[in-house]
Formats: sequence, structure tokens, C-alpha cells
Amino acid sequence: MCAEVEETLKRIQTHKGVIGTIVVNAEGIPIRTTLDNSTTVQYAGLLHQLTMKARSTVRDIDPQNDLTFLRIRSKKHEIMVAPDKEYMLIVIQNPSE
Amino acid sequence: TEMAPTVTRSQPNRAYLGCSGTGASCPGCASHKSPSTAKSETYISLSQVLDENGKDVTPRPVYQPDPAAVQSKHSKIFASDTSGGTMSDFYSTTYQTTTNASFAGAFTRSLFGSGSVSIGSQSIMESMSEEIEDPSSKRDNSISLSDVQVKREEVKELIQEEMLDDMVDLYLVESDTLCLLDMPAISVSVDSMEAESVKERNSRYTELCKNRTGNDKYMGRSMQTFNGASKTKEVQSEAITMADAATIANNWDMYDSFCSAGQGEVDLSTDTDKAMSSSSSRMEMEPFVVPSESKPDPELILQSEEFQQHLFVMERIILENIYQPKLAAYRQLPTLEGMVLLKCWNHVTEQLSKQKRLRREESSLDEEGPPTPALERLWSFSCELTTGRNVSSMAWNKRNPDLLAVGYGQFAFKDQKPGLVCCWSLKNPSWPERIFTCQSGVTALDFSASSASMLAVGMHDGTIATYNVQSREKTPVIDSSDCVHKHTSPVWQVRWINHERALSGEDKGEALISVSADGRISKWFLRKGLDCIDLMKLKRTRNDRFKRQVGEKERKSEALISRQAPGLCFDFHPTDSNIYLAGTEEGHIHKCSCSYNEQFLETYQAHKGPLYRITWSPFCSDVFLSCSSDWTIQLWRQDLFTPVLGFMSTQRAVYDVMWSPKWATVFGAVNEGRMEIWDLGASILDPTIVNPASPGVKLTSLLFATETDCVLVGDSDGQVSVYQLKNFTAGEGTQDVSILQPPMRLVKSMSADRRRLGLFWFYIENKNV
Repeated sequence: MCAEVEETLKRIQTHKGVIGTIVVNAEGIPIRTTLDNSTTVQYAGLLHQLTMKARSTVRDIDPQNDLTFLRIRSKKHEIMVAPDKEYMLIVIQNPSE
Repeated sequence: TEMAPTVTRSQPNRAYLGCSGTGASCPGCASHKSPSTAKSETYISLSQVLDENGKDVTPRPVYQPDPAAVQSKHSKIFASDTSGGTMSDFYSTTYQTTTNASFAGAFTRSLFGSGSVSIGSQSIMESMSEEIEDPSSKRDNSISLSDVQVKREEVKELIQEEMLDDMVDLYLVESDTLCLLDMPAISVSVDSMEAESVKERNSRYTELCKNRTGNDKYMGRSMQTFNGASKTKEVQSEAITMADAATIANNWDMYDSFCSAGQGEVDLSTDTDKAMSSSSSRMEMEPFVVPSESKPDPELILQSEEFQQHLFVMERIILENIYQPKLAAYRQLPTLEGMVLLKCWNHVTEQLSKQKRLRREESSLDEEGPPTPALERLWSFSCELTTGRNVSSMAWNKRNPDLLAVGYGQFAFKDQKPGLVCCWSLKNPSWPERIFTCQSGVTALDFSASSASMLAVGMHDGTIATYNVQSREKTPVIDSSDCVHKHTSPVWQVRWINHERALSGEDKGEALISVSADGRISKWFLRKGLDCIDLMKLKRTRNDRFKRQVGEKERKSEALISRQAPGLCFDFHPTDSNIYLAGTEEGHIHKCSCSYNEQFLETYQAHKGPLYRITWSPFCSDVFLSCSSDWTIQLWRQDLFTPVLGFMSTQRAVYDVMWSPKWATVFGAVNEGRMEIWDLGASILDPTIVNPASPGVKLTSLLFATETDCVLVGDSDGQVSVYQLKNFTAGEGTQDVSILQPPMRLVKSMSADRRRLGLFWFYIENKNV
């Protein structure tokens, strides 16, 4: 089970255009990251707030609904966030590369 | 008499506990035994205070654990007996030694509500200060107050949990009447019993008042009340820190607390009030709940199911980003990119020089006519596991048209290695969804139609196994290696066939049919294990035609190594599931029926080498195609024993041929060096589109996609490339099967003049039309 997770993580990191992969726990402490610490902490903090807001928005409209995935496409990159109660998985990709 | 505003200490009717003044400043003070002892006394013990009459007027502490504390009556005893400055200083210092603002806060109200300062209160402060300095007791006090409340609530909860289903009897009784305020009326009703006495009293009083003025009995005196000198007292308390707490009760917040409070499934709209009250009661409880959950271990997070699921989804999304234009082209959605240059593949580009080819491309771009059909390579399914392996078979899932099963196994006997079956999904072209390793090379695959997750696999050592692709298990559901009648040679094709009509008492439904190089076509079923019966044994047939041609004396029959011809392929009739065609290594095509397992119905002989594929046309039920290693593809009609059309484009063995599921006249073929798409409506001599293989790589299998215009080609390097057919205009009259008829008539009329057709028809030359 653990080997499959490691393999999938490695595959994700080697896909075309992927700039970085971050896994942080609920407190914002990085568990796995391929970027440097300051960038990781910055991403984790900012995206945590955004995810909270997004989740609040989704649930306000329908409390039985919940946020499953968040994608932010910007001019340079695409940031993809898979939020969860205990952790957050963030991948930054440059799709046009 | 008037009271002096100054303080005098010699009044006997004053009781005082002690004073902070020194002996000099307070000469009459009985408590001044010595300054230090006096002070220590005041700090240490709360002595009795007796006034002149010996009554015990010891001030009792205002603060008691019982909230309904009785306020001691200071005002009676303590006039302004204090020296203003020092006492106030003392108070302030005492006060400042306290650290508990809230504690003193409770005090200030009671003590200093009135403007007068009293020694008694000082003593209280002193006595309390010792308690104040003990912080734990203070805290205990404060906690005990609310603790009591908590306990009460907790007890209530316990009861609720344990005895939910019990019948609870509630008794309503009237409590005692508490009189809070009683203001008796000063007027009495005329009808009441006391009316008479009251009236009498009233009249007596009026008489008295009348008589008073000149009477000697009454004398006026004046009185003066004592006014105690008031004194202002300042006190300073510590700043009361205020904290703002705010919460927004979101829609979902209420829903969450409602659900977790276990109220059951009730409509949200009607119970929002209840939810709010329950959540607010929970808020009160929260400060006392000690968080007992430990933070999840990072390793546990990484191994959890949800993380795996999230990774899975994330990978697919990343790949969607990468492959989005290709996937959109596959799905025939309009792509966002600009004009794509058409690469015009001409079937004679190999023979032209480079300049000529360029000129031709330019001219074809310039002309106004319809663009020529072309192939565009979209992507290829491959990963590190599959490189170097030979793709032997491919099959689409019958229920999910995005799921592709690819079998990897070598064809030749000498370089056998363990086989592999990968299930690829369109959403992830870089890693297969399922990987199954088999002990020997995989040579045939088919998905079942009735149970869409069953995949039948035929292998090079004759084993047939079925896998369940839904589960994550790596082992087959069932294997034929224990079967007595299993195949002893490579299984070259497996197919799930739906028999609508029951044959000889067998169950209706789907059956697995396989053909193998040991010359048997077997039908497999599950009866206490996988077992098979033979539908047909492919006997060797001698080539009688050639013998007759030679016209010589009959040669002796050759010694045959085995009486059975290895079967390489078969195909069941699309409408009549009783009839099927089987191709052998000898080059014969046998038409057989499931009802007869001894004899062939017909034999079609034309090929000179092993037949690799036979397929019925999905549109025209009489027509089928066959391809073989003698470099040709033959088009047959069921009732004619010589092929109607033959196609040859290169001198390479044709490994695979497949009719297009969309156009009646189109089929694709794969030989070693290239992939060809033939359109019989356009040309019967040359393929319409030719795609050469990369150097060093042999193309081995072909599959049309059912819902889009795409073709999949597997090669000997383990890659399955997806090509899109562009500008294919065979779309007009696709379903019109009669298109197939003219070419046949054409051939019939032209067969007399063979020379015009050239080399292509050499196998028809002996036929009598």
C-alpha cells in the first residue's frame, strides 16, 4: 500500500510541466515537498485560507455538499489543491510547457 | 451635639480591629501593642470585635462560597474612624497586592458601594488578602462556582444517554410562594372587618391633631440627626481586559452541529431553532472539554485511503492538462489551437524523392478540392513496464468504451518471456490502471459483454485465464491450467460469444470460445471448475485443387506429423451465432457450425500461408475479410469459393485486419512495416492512407475505436499508438452496403482480362467465373 503511494507520488512529480508537489498536514507543516521551505510554507498558508473560504462558500449554498477539489489557473501556472480534514495535497503545474 | 469632622479615637463606643497607624499617631488605640505585632495581627488573624455592649460584631467575610452570602453590617459600627490618608494608602496597597482582578471586582461592589470606608472592610481585605495571595484557592473558588454548574449539566447528560428509552414520569408540583416584595396597602376597604377600628383610629388622630395646638401636653422639641462625615475614597483597579469574540453561524455550521448532536434525520428548515440552541449549549461546554485526540502521524496520512484517492485524481487531472488537446481531438470536440498543418500522406511517397514530395504537398494544399484523408498521431499508451514487449492483442471493454485491455506477448516460440496484460484508461495514457502478470506470453484477449469486468486471456502455453478488472487482485479469477482438456499449444484467439439459441441442452448466454494451435476450437464453461468441450477439431485437408491441376498420377498421401491443423483465428457470424469461420495455418478457411463438430460446412482455399485474421463485415453479413502471411488480404463472399477481391500492397505478412465499425467500405490492415487504411469506395488497388512504422519497430495489431474516428496500432516495442483519421470522406453512404456490390461486379467482369489487373490477381487466374 505504501509503495503504491510512493510510486504514484513519484510519477506525479515527473509528469510534464509539474513544478512542485506539496503535502501539508492540518497545521501547515509540510510532510512532503519538492520545493524549498519558504515557498512551501507560503503556498500552504495562502492556499489553506483560500480552501477554507471555498469550502465555506460551497457549503453555504448547500450544507450537504462539500468541496472535493480546487483548481486555480493563472497566466503562468495551474495550482491544484486536493483538500482534506487532515492534510492538503497541492500540485503546481505549467500546462503549456 | 455635633460631631467633629475629625477623627477621634478616644470614643469608647467604637470598636476597631486595629489600625495601620503607628503608636504615635493613634494614641488611644487599644490595638497598638506594638506596631509590628499589630500589623501582624491584622494580617494573620481575624480577631473578635466587640462593641461597648459586648455584642459580637465581628465582620463576617462578604465573600463566601455560598453565593447567597449575607452582607455584614459595617455601617453601624464604623464611623469615620480612619485617618484619611494612611488608610486609603493601605487599602490601595492591599488592593494592589491582589492579583485577581475579578475576585476583587466582586468585592469592590459590595465594599465600596457606599462612599464610606470602614475599618471592618479593611479587616476583611486583610483577611482576604491572605487568601488572595494563595492563588490556587482563588482559582479553586472561581472554578468551583462554575464547576458546580458543569457537574449539574454533566449529570444531566449522563442520564440522557443511559436511559433514553425509559418512561420518565414528570410530576408538576407547586413550589412555595416566595415573597419578594410586600407592600401592604395603607388604605382599607370600607367593607373589611378592620374598617371600624381603622375609622376609629383615624378619627382619634384627627382629634388629637386638633387638640394639639394649644394643649400643654404636647411640646415641640427639635432633634438633630448625626451626619457622619463623608469621606471620599479612591480606588484603582487593574484594567479589565476585554476580549471580543465573534462567530458567524454559517448555514453549514448549523448543519454540522445539528448532525453531530445526533438529532437524527429531521428537516433542516423546521429545526434550525433547535440546532441553534443545541449548538449554543455546546459552545458553553467547549472550554471544559480537554482535547484528547492526538495529531495524526504524517506517515499515517500518507498511507490513508483518502490520500491515495486524492493522488489518483490529481494524477488524472495533471494528465488531462497535458493531454487535453489530444483527448479533445479524440472525442471530436473542437480544439482550441489554430490551424493544424495537414501532412498529406501519399501512398507513393516512398518512391518519390524529397523535392517531389514537397511539391506535391504544396500543390495539394493549393488546390481547391477536398483535403486528402490523413492520419494524425494523438498519443500512445506506453510506460516503462511495457517497453520492449510485443503487443499481441487489444480489446475494448464492452461497457466502458474508454477502457482498453492490451496483451503483451511474443509471437515466436523462441523468445518467450512472462506475459503482461495492462488495462489502460483514456484518462491516463502514461500508466495503466491495472497490471496483470501472467506466466507466459499473452496472445489473445477479450472482454465479456454480459459481465463487463471479466477479461479472458489466452496465453502462449495454452492456458486460458479470466481476470476481474474491477478488483485490485493480481491473480486470475479462474485458470484453465488444471483442466484436463486444456489446450496444449498457444491459444491464438478467445472470444465471448452470446448464443441466443441453446444448443443441446447447454445454458443459454455467453460462452468463451477459444482456438488454439493444437487444432481445437473449444467452448469453455464453468462447471465445478473450468472445463471445455470441443466445438471442432480442425483436420488437415489436403490441397486437392493443386493435385488436380497437375493431373499426374495420385501421389501417395504425405506422412503428416499431426492430423490436426493449427487454428489461428476464428470469427462468429454477426447475426447467426451458430455459424463461424475458422482459419488455419495451412491457409484454409473453414466454415463450421456449432451443431456439427465433425465436419466443416465449407472450405475456402485461397491463401498460401497461415491465416492471421478472419473478420465478418459488420454491415454486410455475407462478406468477410481474411489476411495472412502471404502478403495478401482477401475479400470473400459467403457463397463464392474464390475471393472476390484481393489486396496486396507490400511484400510483408499482414498481421491484422479489421473492418471499420463506422464505414462499410473501410478496413484497416497492419503489416510488419506499415499500417494501411483501405477505402473500397475510393480505390480497390491502393490503400487510402498509409502510415509507416518507426524504423526497427514492427506493427502487430490494429483496433478501431468504436465511437470516434480513431485507430489504435500496437507494435513490437510495447507502444499502442492512437491515430485519428482526418478528412475521411467515406462518410457519405456509410450504411449503404450496396457500395460493396459494384466492386465485385467489376472484378467479375474484369477477371477475364487479367493482364490489365496485373500481378494482384494471380490467385484468381485458375478460377472459373
